[in-house]
Amino acid sequence: MSVEEQAPSRAEVRAAVGPQSSEAVFLVLRRMRVPLIVLLTLFAISVLGLTLIPGTNPDGTPWRMGFFDAFYFMSYTATTIGYGELPQAFNDAQRMWVTLSIYLSVIGWAYAIGALLSLVQSRPFRQAIAVTRFQRSVRNLREPFWLMAGHGHTGDMLGTWLDDLGKRFVVVDVRDDAVDALDLGTYTADVPAIVADASTPDVLVQAGLLHPSCVGVLALTDDDEANLAVVMAASVLRPGLQVIARTSSASIKARMEAFGEPIVIDPFDRFGDHFAVSLRAPATEQLADWLTRAPEAPLPQPHDDIRPGPWILYGYGRFGREVTRDLRREGVEVRIIDAGTGLVDEPEGADGAIVGDATRREILDQADISSAVGFIAGTDNDVTNLSLVRAARRANPSLFIVARQNRPENAELFDAMGIDLLLVPTTVVAQEALAHIGAPMLWQFLQLASHQGQQWSAALIDRLVERCGTGSPELWEVSLTDADAPAVVRVLQRHPVVLRDLLRDPLDRESTVEVVCLMVDSFDGSVLAPDDDYVLRAGDRLLLAGRPAGRHSMESTLLVDSSAAYCLSDEPAATGWLWRRLTREDARR
Amino acid sequence: MNLEKVVFGFFVMLAATLNFGFFIGDIDDPTVHNRYELYAAVVVNLIATVLKFGDRTQIGAVHLATSLVADLQLIAAAVVLVWATNVSPEGVTPSAMASVVSLSGGALLANLVSVVLLVIETVSYRRR
Repeated sequence: MSVEEQAPSRAEVRAAVGPQSSEAVFLVLRRMRVPLIVLLTLFAISVLGLTLIPGTNPDGTPWRMGFFDAFYFMSYTATTIGYGELPQAFNDAQRMWVTLSIYLSVIGWAYAIGALLSLVQSRPFRQAIAVTRFQRSVRNLREPFWLMAGHGHTGDMLGTWLDDLGKRFVVVDVRDDAVDALDLGTYTADVPAIVADASTPDVLVQAGLLHPSCVGVLALTDDDEANLAVVMAASVLRPGLQVIARTSSASIKARMEAFGEPIVIDPFDRFGDHFAVSLRAPATEQLADWLTRAPEAPLPQPHDDIRPGPWILYGYGRFGREVTRDLRREGVEVRIIDAGTGLVDEPEGADGAIVGDATRREILDQADISSAVGFIAGTDNDVTNLSLVRAARRANPSLFIVARQNRPENAELFDAMGIDLLLVPTTVVAQEALAHIGAPMLWQFLQLASHQGQQWSAALIDRLVERCGTGSPELWEVSLTDADAPAVVRVLQRHPVVLRDLLRDPLDRESTVEVVCLMVDSFDGSVLAPDDDYVLRAGDRLLLAGRPAGRHSMESTLLVDSSAAYCLSDEPAATGWLWRRLTREDARR
Repeated sequence: MNLEKVVFGFFVMLAATLNFGFFIGDIDDPTVHNRYELYAAVVVNLIATVLKFGDRTQIGAVHLATSLVADLQLIAAAVVLVWATNVSPEGVTPSAMASVVSLSGGALLANLVSVVLLVIETVSYRRR
């Protein structure tokens, strides 16, 4: 029964954006039929009456008004202009008719204008206008753009970052307020948005799924089923398009992965991975966190005090299971406490779990909290998590506290509690998505870097901070090809180039631009954080991090022959096409 | 029976018949062409046009187009007649009357197409 009741509301949303209502003009024409006919008829009757009523000339002879005069008179009377120019003074019979006509025309106009105004204010009409405008602005997009299905907290955060990076996106969301918020938002670029159910393929097509400039789809709604539907539609209608989807259900994840090669982000799984990396090498996690933050974000604090001793976890749900598995894989002992519900659903891996309410001291003592190094409050209820944190702190003040914040609105409370490591699923998803979107090589870099040790990461962070400051650097890719770096490729044909030379400042050869090379991807594998003596070859792909000014200077080395010659070799530059020809001839001889 | 269809058919037919009534007769003889009939033809044609608004089918679009043609021609005929009667110093000459009637003849053709479309629509509706 409940399914039956819900069905119409979904159908309504779909109908609202169906092709029928897309053109507002037709809606106006159809709805204005009756008012227009009423107006026409009343006007016609008035004019006809005026021509039929006998009038009198000033000299008393009978006179009849012509159609033209009658039409002229009624035109300025009915429109309330009241010009007052009469061909002849009316007699009483004509005045009676004109009185009647005036009232008729007033009624006709009032009806027509009233109908038009109510039409303009009606929901279907406004929706039709919104859909038409949306389709037009999507159609007119010429830059590459992302299709964002669902603009909740994740979408909002990611949208701000994308906007900062100068990337365009289109939003589809079922909630009115999410789309209204976009109008009030502070994005620099115009963001086409529509209230519609993204799980409908038709809506995705309207939002530009088949548009040649659409570079990818972000399925970020709260509803796993809807995200699955988006992934499905995208992979079927536009195979090969990059799809990034969010889900926290393993079964949905598996079903998504059956369609093409979507990037599926499970916040709990990812958090567990980050957690495990933090335990092993805090600086590595610090580096990954920093590089996937918004541009110019400050360097996050390293979790140096995180230790692999016994941990206590409360809440063995989806999150609890993921974290437990990741921690145990790192060889960390995890003591599980649960109110009981999570254990019933999925008892796997929870042997020896304590059943009870962890805000009570005896339960915490049962888990031997005094010997534990950390406590994880991982329920799906923020109030519970906060009270757990308070209880755990009271029992053992030296604990490292990890808490899961479910609702972004509660950020201030969690801040004030001084949580050591906070999981906000929306932030995790946004950061992961940004890592995939920002620079394609970044993801590969992060994967490889997560296996690196503490010292390697700390050294890289030091190098980045020394050269680029503590604001999170801009990340970009450069290929040493004719298209991306013609000047460098020409130099490479003559002699080898080392990384140090590429990073020289074209204004002053002795100084270095504010850029660090994070990774080089060449024919025979990837090199992480190559040192300054790394020998570059044509065709290499570089992942670079740095300040925008550094990127700008470096671009001149890549593109301009004289800069390249100055930075990469000491020989004087052969800038012109002719001179280049001549010098090359010389070299051959 | 659908009242909407009755009204629609009525106005389309009435537009054609009034148009025909005005058109019939010697082309340059003002006495056989009643101006009230022309007036009625203009008004009924306008109403028929409004009735055709907002139909997105192919046949609906052609319906609207023919109606707009008829409106245009009839309004032109009315303007010519008014000009001849009120403005032109020669009054309603046979040549002026001839152009009024021939304009209404053009409108009649468009109206006949409308009627044919109406018949086609009806027949194909029966078959379905």
